[in-house]
Formats: sequence, structure tokens, C-alpha cells
Amino acid sequence: MFADSRFDFLGRVRYYIAIVVTPLHLMADLPSRTSDAFHNFFKTRTDLEDDNLRLQDEMLMLQFKLQKLDHLDAENQRLNELLKATYIIDDVAVRAQLLGESPDPFSKRVIINKGSNEGVFIGQPVIDAHGLMGQVVQVEPLTSWVLLITDPLHATPVQVNRNGLRAIAAGTSDILHQLMLENVSITADIQVGDELVTSGLDQRLPAGYPVGVVSSVKNDPGQSFANIKVTPSAQLDRSRNVLLLFSSAESKAARAAAKIEASGNALQPTPHVEGRQ
Amino acid sequence: MVDISGKSRNIWVIVLSLVFAGVLAIVPIPLWLALWRPDWIALTLIYWVIALPHRIGMVAAWLVGLLVDVLEGTLLGLHAIVLMMSAYIALTLYQRLRMFTPLQQSLTILMLIGAGQLLIFWVQAATGQNTADNLAFVLSSMTSALLWPLVFVCLRFCRRSFNVG
Repeated sequence: MFADSRFDFLGRVRYYIAIVVTPLHLMADLPSRTSDAFHNFFKTRTDLEDDNLRLQDEMLMLQFKLQKLDHLDAENQRLNELLKATYIIDDVAVRAQLLGESPDPFSKRVIINKGSNEGVFIGQPVIDAHGLMGQVVQVEPLTSWVLLITDPLHATPVQVNRNGLRAIAAGTSDILHQLMLENVSITADIQVGDELVTSGLDQRLPAGYPVGVVSSVKNDPGQSFANIKVTPSAQLDRSRNVLLLFSSAESKAARAAAKIEASGNALQPTPHVEGRQ
Repeated sequence: MVDISGKSRNIWVIVLSLVFAGVLAIVPIPLWLALWRPDWIALTLIYWVIALPHRIGMVAAWLVGLLVDVLEGTLLGLHAIVLMMSAYIALTLYQRLRMFTPLQQSLTILMLIGAGQLLIFWVQAATGQNTADNLAFVLSSMTSALLWPLVFVCLRFCRRSFNVG
């Protein structure tokens, strides 16, 4: 126990025992998957048609936004080149599915169905469709554990989208998913509704991903720091599909592993990434 | 009665019950309910220790605990030592426990599992993995104690119908 918390060598032991217990996670996930399957099987034709229409509408809107985004992206890159700044690109995101969450109600961790076999590594950022979810803290052959940003052990360097103010959003021991901004002075310009994105200053999580929205700001005159609460953007308790980010700085090997699987499964938002480096 | 010298019979029932308990222990449930989730694995293990002390002892408890640690992603060895402790107490008490009324048994289980939860909480707080400042973690040992008679009856039924020894 002590050895595990302080040293690294038990990692291998855990790695191999994990092969034995992974089927248990799959079994525990079975009821929800079966109900999903039933639900899909008994969907009516009209439901499907409605879904289809809605998704087509959504796709049209997203494509329209993407057109503008491509232009902005190129412009941003040109400006960055003028400033001689490095341009950060995330090239591959691999889809993964949630298998379960930590049975310990005090620890906010989830287990996903991709492991070292797919090139997942410790410290890898995990996002969902709405924002940053957390990072990988433990890798097993077929599964890996993700520490959510709201765990009391996790702190995320963030930036206010409106004015670029930097802060650190730490998880809380609250049972609800909530973040607190640490050590922000009472006079800082942060308002309710401000969007926070990752600042990338930890050199681990990529910059620019939405983290949360400020939900309350309390200034207690007796305290030297403001009490600021943040609601995470990612649907931490609802998302089932998550994305594992392989950023450009990551090892080639991990990327190669991801690419093999990428042919059918990965989303490559910027196809011209390879040429840019 | 129990034949101590003989070969073990139908050990797979024990393994299967522990696997089932393991699935129950990680099956996703809403957050408000998660605090009340009984410690299925400890309950099952304690039953088998009481029923078959010559088969299931501290080594088995340690092995199961190691698997639980990997299953739940806790510190490797934490559940191993806690379950081993529970198994040790159950081993020293099993003759008395068999004589107890269900209520007395439940109270003993409350103490056993509560002590285990306390030890887990203590170690996790010492290593900075749990920063909760209340005693909500003991709720789980209370539901465990309440469900003990049910677990006991079910597992005894399994033991008798499959003639596990």
C-alpha cells in the first residue's frame, strides 16, 4: 500500500491483475448496454425519421460554423507566424466509451474502454462534446482510469475567455460536480456567466478547451480571496462517449498506435496537419 | 457435517458468488445512492469465512482484496489488508457468530465493516485521496448490516443446494 503510493514498481503488478478484472467491468456495464440495444431495436420508424431530420439540420448548422472556423484558423495561424509564436495543433482524437465510474462516491474517476493497447498514456487529456473532462491517471491493457476535473485531487489551469485572466480551477470534495477558482483576489474581474477555457500553462492539457462557466461569485470582506464556483461545461455525469486527445507533441509511437485504429474510428479535424509541422 | 480432511467440493460456487458481488460493487448507480451502496464483497467474504473457515481464510481474503483494489482503482493493497483484517476477526469469532441471532450478527457485521471503512478512509485521507470532512462513509456499513440477513440466507441456500464444502 505504502509502496504503491510512493513508488512505481507495483504498476506492473496492477497492470497484469487488471487483465483478470476487466471482464467484471464489462459485465457491470452489460445491463445499460443491453437496455440501449433494446431501445435501439424497438425504435419506431417515425422516431428514426425525426432523428434523421434533426441531425441533418444540426450538421448543416455545424458545417456552416466550420466554414468560418477554417477561415479563422488559417488567419490565426498567419497572425501567430507574424508574432513568431508557436502554433498549437491537436491532430488526432480517438473515440472511447465510458465503462463505469469509481464505486467510491468521494472519488470522481471514470473508467474507459481504451487502454495501453490503443496507445493511451498517463496524463492524456480526455474531452467530451462540450468540454474538458479530465486526464488519464492509470493505464491498463484494455481499460484506463480518468481523473475528472472535479476530483479534489485535480486542478486545471484556466483562463477567462472574456479578458484572458488566468486562474486555477480546483475540484471540490462536494458530491456534485463543481469547481472552485483558487486564490483569485476580490478585485479580479470575474463575473457570473464568464466562460473558462484551459490556458495550457501546465504543458499537459492543451490550451483553448472549454472547462466551465462561472456560476457564482461571492466576495466576503473578511477573506482575502473571492469564493468563485464554476459549473463544468463537460457533462461529467452524463457523457458516455468521450474523446482521447493525442496532441502533436506526443510520442510518435502512441500516435502510430492510434493511427492504426484511426482508419475507421478516429476523427481528424484538420487533415492538413501533417504538412504544417 | 463439515468434513475438514476431505477435498474441497464445488469451490466454483464461492468464486461465482464473489464475482457476482464484484459486479454489484461496481455497477453504476446514482450518486445519492452510491453513499449507501453496501460492501457486497466484504459481506460475501465474511459469510464464506463463517461458513467454511477451513477453506476461506486470510490468504483468500488477501487475494480477493488485491483484485478489489485493481477493480476499484484504489491503492494496491488497501482492500487487501482491510479484507484480511475482517477475515481475521471473522475467523476468531465464527463459532460465536454461528450461534448469534440475526440481529446480533448484523450488529457484529456493522462493527466489522465499519472498522474496515474507517481504515480505508484513514489511509485515503493520509495519502490525500479523500478530502471529505464528514462521516458519510459509514452509511455503507449500515446498509451492509441491514442487508446481512438477506445475504446470509441467500448464500446459505446456495451452499446447501450445491453442497459446497
